[in-house]
Amino acid sequence: MKTKYSVSGLDCPNCAAKLEGMLGKTEGIASAKINFLSEKLTVESELPADELLAAVRKTAQAFSSKVKIDLL
Amino acid sequence: MKKRHSLRLTHEVWQVLAGGVLLGAGILSEHLGAPAPAVLAVYLVALAVSGCTVWLDALRGILRRDLLDEKFLMTVASVGAFIIGSYAEGVAVMLFFLAGEYFEHQAVARSRKSIRGLMDLCPDRAIRLSGEIEEEIDADDLSAGDRIVIRPGDRVPADCTVLDGTALIDVASLTGEPLPVEASPGSSLSSGTVCQNGRLIARVDRPAETSAAARVLSLVEDANEAKSRQENFITRFSRVYTPSVVLAAVLLGVGVPLILLWSGHAPGWTDWLHRALTFLVVSCPCALVISVPLSFFGGIGGAASEGILFKGGNRMNALSRVKTVCCDKTGTLTEGKFEVREVTPAAGIDRDHLVAVAASAERNSTHPIAAAIRALAPDAPSPASVEERAGRGIVADVDGRRVLAGSKKLLLEEGVLVPDDAVGSVFVAEDGKWIGCFTVGDAIRPESRDTVERLRKLGVKRVGMLTGDAPENAKPVAEALSLDFARASLLPDDKYQAVGDLIAEKNGAVLYVGDGINDAPVIALADIGVAMGGVGSDAAIEAADLVVMSDKLDRLPKAIRIARRTVAIARQNIVFALAVKLAILVLSATGINSSMWLAVFADVGVAVLAILNAMRALRVKKL
Repeated sequence: MKTKYSVSGLDCPNCAAKLEGMLGKTEGIASAKINFLSEKLTVESELPADELLAAVRKTAQAFSSKVKIDLL
Repeated sequence: MKKRHSLRLTHEVWQVLAGGVLLGAGILSEHLGAPAPAVLAVYLVALAVSGCTVWLDALRGILRRDLLDEKFLMTVASVGAFIIGSYAEGVAVMLFFLAGEYFEHQAVARSRKSIRGLMDLCPDRAIRLSGEIEEEIDADDLSAGDRIVIRPGDRVPADCTVLDGTALIDVASLTGEPLPVEASPGSSLSSGTVCQNGRLIARVDRPAETSAAARVLSLVEDANEAKSRQENFITRFSRVYTPSVVLAAVLLGVGVPLILLWSGHAPGWTDWLHRALTFLVVSCPCALVISVPLSFFGGIGGAASEGILFKGGNRMNALSRVKTVCCDKTGTLTEGKFEVREVTPAAGIDRDHLVAVAASAERNSTHPIAAAIRALAPDAPSPASVEERAGRGIVADVDGRRVLAGSKKLLLEEGVLVPDDAVGSVFVAEDGKWIGCFTVGDAIRPESRDTVERLRKLGVKRVGMLTGDAPENAKPVAEALSLDFARASLLPDDKYQAVGDLIAEKNGAVLYVGDGINDAPVIALADIGVAMGGVGSDAAIEAADLVVMSDKLDRLPKAIRIARRTVAIARQNIVFALAVKLAILVLSATGINSSMWLAVFADVGVAVLAILNAMRALRVKKL
């Protein structure tokens, strides 16, 4: 199932790509795609919505404290 | 959340200012001959102030074993400069890096904002009618069948059909069409258009999330997924660039002195380390990585504000190289409405009489050609009786006279004498005598001729027409527009074949533009498929590379100009940024000028200029 989030606080498309890679390797997430310019994150996962959001946020925090993830 | 955002930015500004003042103080105290430990102390504070936030991120980078993280590399460069005694340069690297980042954020945020502004088509609120009571609700809560009130100045909140009232509707934000259209009961309105004067009551056809405006928005947002050639190049390039530069820096800073030492020369550690650190300063491909996608983001957003929806940056590449344009005829080059071209009365017959008789006879016919003849005499009375002859025409009783109006065949069958050289679409006889004929054609759209000329000026080699219509209707259009080729009587399969043949010639990119109603496969096949007339048909949108919201062909040259300029801006940024980085690498490797001041200044400067250049892509109004 695909879920879309808003993602803000990323510095550059490079960082977006790195976070994308980290999210892709996160347990329970099949794939992750970040569109830096429209600030959207699309995650494919079978996790329940609240668990998924928590997992995504945890990974994002490990990447940078400035990154904010919210449900669209 | 917004507040916190701006707070963080002001804090960045303070950080840059404080770092700058401290750096100035350090340089000044150094020049005034202050004691060395005091000078170092000032520089260290300056470094800490400007570097603290970067160091935190660098630490995170190390924790995830990312040693090519730009923040880590910048930290190495500035700390390294301190170790070899270039304090001022070390602070400068951090400070300019910080300032550059701040500026980049601002620029990207501004571009995002202006593109969102362009796309802000859907109003938040709508007025729903419950019985006679008006209630203001969230536009998202509208459902199909609801009755809504649209007041002068309101944006239409959902796709709807007018039930009551008349108004002029400004459709520019959706289609780029400058002239307002009239709306009256029965008219369909698209969400995102603006009611100019008049109050309308309308029935909602589709909820807001599936409306025309919402689909435009999602189309443009998804457009960023299909990357342009330039964006792909940058992605591949940056994957190689940073590791290569870092490797070169290690070789330069450690390898070269070791070789010198081994071969019995003085190693010159400080000088070589200095050159290596300068390499690290320009090791981030940031300027490119931000400015190139930003150019396409801006170009796609700007085009959308003109009613031209690109389905990705790669479509801009293709469109910028188009060499052959094929147009559908009806509804694209022509209005799709018939009009009388020529009235030819028979010898001795008054023209007005011919028109009056024919218009009366055709009064109640539903045939599109009949409407064209009626338009010549709108007040003609209805015939006493009328009889349709399928595929031939009609036989009518006009003021007690027997009138035939239709093909030459109809008249001949009824025993009327018609001269062999008489040419026309509709022949008319009165009481068994031929009185003249009408030549009826589909009206060429006023902008078609100009569009064809503009396309030629833009370097399109061939402009042609592929139509299902008969050759005698296609030929005048092709001649009037001086098209390079025109093929008529084509079934949808034939059109597909024709476009396939043009592509097989490998004579540059082939564009096909149609209304998408029955030519979706052709649109999909063409190098660039253009669907005109908005987001009506799902099949056409799916197949098209480009969706033009209005049905005006003049959007096509504009789309080409936008595509070309966007691609040009992206290329300028690539060439400019690479040239400057290369120059710095060469200058510092050879030792001609390995100043870190110059390197960080040039690197940040390039990023800033490239981003400013990219923001130009958004401005498409005057193209």
